[in-house]
Amino acid sequence: MKFTRFLKASVATVVLALGTALSGIALAQDKEPVVVGYIGSFASDTGLSTIRGAEIAIEELNAAGGVLGGRPIKMVMADTREDVAEGIKAYEYLNEVENVDFIISGSIDDVSLGWLPRMAEYRTPTLDTWTSYVGIIDLVVQEYEKYKMYFMNIACDEALATLYIDFGKDVLGAQMGYKSTVIMQEDTAFGNSIAGLVTDLLAPEAGLEVKGTVVYDANTVDFAPLFNKAVDTGADFIYLISSVRSQVPASQYVKLQVPIPMTGVNVAAFGQDFWSDTGGQGGGTSTLSPVPSVGMDLDDRTQAFIDKYKEKYGSNRPIYPHFNGFNAYYGILTAFEAAERAGGFDPLDDWVREYENTDLKLYKDDKLWFRYAFWKPGEIEPRTQREYTHNQKFDITPPFEDGAPAMVVIQWYEDGTPAVIYPPKFATGKFQEPSWIAN
Amino acid sequence: MLIHILVQGLLLSGFYALIAIGFTLIFSVGRVLNLAYGAFLMVGGYVYYQSAQIIGLGKIPSFVIAVLAGVLLGALVYLLLVKRLRGDAIAIEISTLILAVVLQAAVIVVFSPSAKSMWPLIPGVLRFGSASVTYNILVAAITSWVVIGLLFVFIMKTHLGRAIRAVSMDVKGAVISGIDPDRINLVTWGISGGLAALAGVFLATYTQLDPGMWVAPLIIAVAVVIVGGIGSIVGSLVAAHVIGMLEIITTTMVGAELRGVATMLLIILVLVFAPKGLFGKAEL
Repeated sequence: MKFTRFLKASVATVVLALGTALSGIALAQDKEPVVVGYIGSFASDTGLSTIRGAEIAIEELNAAGGVLGGRPIKMVMADTREDVAEGIKAYEYLNEVENVDFIISGSIDDVSLGWLPRMAEYRTPTLDTWTSYVGIIDLVVQEYEKYKMYFMNIACDEALATLYIDFGKDVLGAQMGYKSTVIMQEDTAFGNSIAGLVTDLLAPEAGLEVKGTVVYDANTVDFAPLFNKAVDTGADFIYLISSVRSQVPASQYVKLQVPIPMTGVNVAAFGQDFWSDTGGQGGGTSTLSPVPSVGMDLDDRTQAFIDKYKEKYGSNRPIYPHFNGFNAYYGILTAFEAAERAGGFDPLDDWVREYENTDLKLYKDDKLWFRYAFWKPGEIEPRTQREYTHNQKFDITPPFEDGAPAMVVIQWYEDGTPAVIYPPKFATGKFQEPSWIAN
Repeated sequence: MLIHILVQGLLLSGFYALIAIGFTLIFSVGRVLNLAYGAFLMVGGYVYYQSAQIIGLGKIPSFVIAVLAGVLLGALVYLLLVKRLRGDAIAIEISTLILAVVLQAAVIVVFSPSAKSMWPLIPGVLRFGSASVTYNILVAAITSWVVIGLLFVFIMKTHLGRAIRAVSMDVKGAVISGIDPDRINLVTWGISGGLAALAGVFLATYTQLDPGMWVAPLIIAVAVVIVGGIGSIVGSLVAAHVIGMLEIITTTMVGAELRGVATMLLIILVLVFAPKGLFGKAEL
């Protein structure tokens, strides 16, 4: 009898416990998720970096009990294939089919420009992590009411350029004593704009003579005649501008042991996979890189993000996130912090106001290392004396104590390690000429 | 500058000849354009990469494995695709083009869409004045000339080679003489696949590995064959040298971004003024 009573009581307890647990789950499931949309490339390393940075941030927020009163975050994605028309369709899909609350973007310049009018129409809060085109920021400055829901979590290209000219002056001119350069550029809009920057600003500031420009098709795979032509100009070094298949000129430079140094912009060298992509033949390549970059020392919190990234994705490339992976991670976290303060993403003005007040400072050895904040409407950047509304709050004035630097210059050494070589505050190494030249 | 043009033009031309020769061979014998030919090069390059750089089998064994893979691929494509579509050249061309796209997709799935640079077959650089030439391209060009020479001897002097020539001249006549054209086609596709894989290894170690790398060699092969005269090995050799030198002259003296344009213009000129090519004829 006692046993029967005990059995009944036990069964009742189990049923009650199960019921409570299941109803809890049901309650959690009942809560409508907050939908974050990703727009960008699914296949490129940069696109994957944004996706993964966002995924880790969302996992952290969900594990902490959700957002906006315990609601889970659901991420949906739309592929742009780095094509403008696909990008516009993707933006429409996220809004009309998925009803997203917030969009995180890993789009290139043209694609972002393509969907921008749709964003203004849907009024969806949107954060870009990859394009750095200052023309988009100018739109926000000029037509704030129309574009105020747009934020760019990477220093714009104008800020990158300003700091990069300092590198030309301080390192290429003063430190290395170079007097002349030959530009080797791909025949793309990107190549033309950077070549213009070098010819019109960097070279005069650094006291460099541009002895010639070798323009090549972006699909070029045989660089031997190009390097020979560049060497024939008699320039002190080659200034390479490459965003498409950039590992090819880097590795052929090493294979051909080109007898003059080379620096410039090499987009492939932004990622940790650069070394394996060049078959270990990328030594000597140096490039400007948005931050946080490979080769950069990290603060503890950012290092913890990297540790999670490595644990989660292992050897799946990119094995280390590009800069936009970091920007996506912190971008999601700060966007939801703003949403918590504003009570959600709607009404838009409340969220925009709170996101403008975002100011996440990350310190390393008691020094300000990275900063995730935004330029506010009407705020003037002291060096360029202009507005950058909703662009990441970059700092382009040494000693960089008011924000993260707009960029760093990194170099891949011949042993396969990347190092930051400029600006000095973040430097972990010095600019080196390849061994076949230095020796 | 002249020495740049001569040295690099000569080396590049030899390499282009190697790229084109297998393509010419198939057209001469089977009268079909193998539009998967560039993909055969790609497969050769990736097999070598997997074997030498990932598994670490060493350069020579990996080289042999890549060439054998090319032979096998060529033979399989003939048996499973071309033979079944025999007599319908357009269907063969469309299906080989589709096959190239399928092979590209397979490479993306297995190796990722990212381009990869490979270790040179033979590291090091030769300098002629201020011109730098890698041992890799030098070896590629020499190998190319040797392989083409051996192929020429094989075609002209051996029983099987003579059978290949017979089929290329007149299939019915060859059948009456007791030659099995299916067998000859199979052998030709195998040789062509092997030559493509060989060229693919050199191309990949000289430039890079990339799932889209099959397009450029296919264009080169088509250009060489059109300019040289469809079906002529000698014509292909001459055309490869004309195109190689033209590309280097354009790159060095006119503009690197116009490198491929000169070749395209040459194709148009040849099609208009000499439709059969410089050495056009219907047999090897």
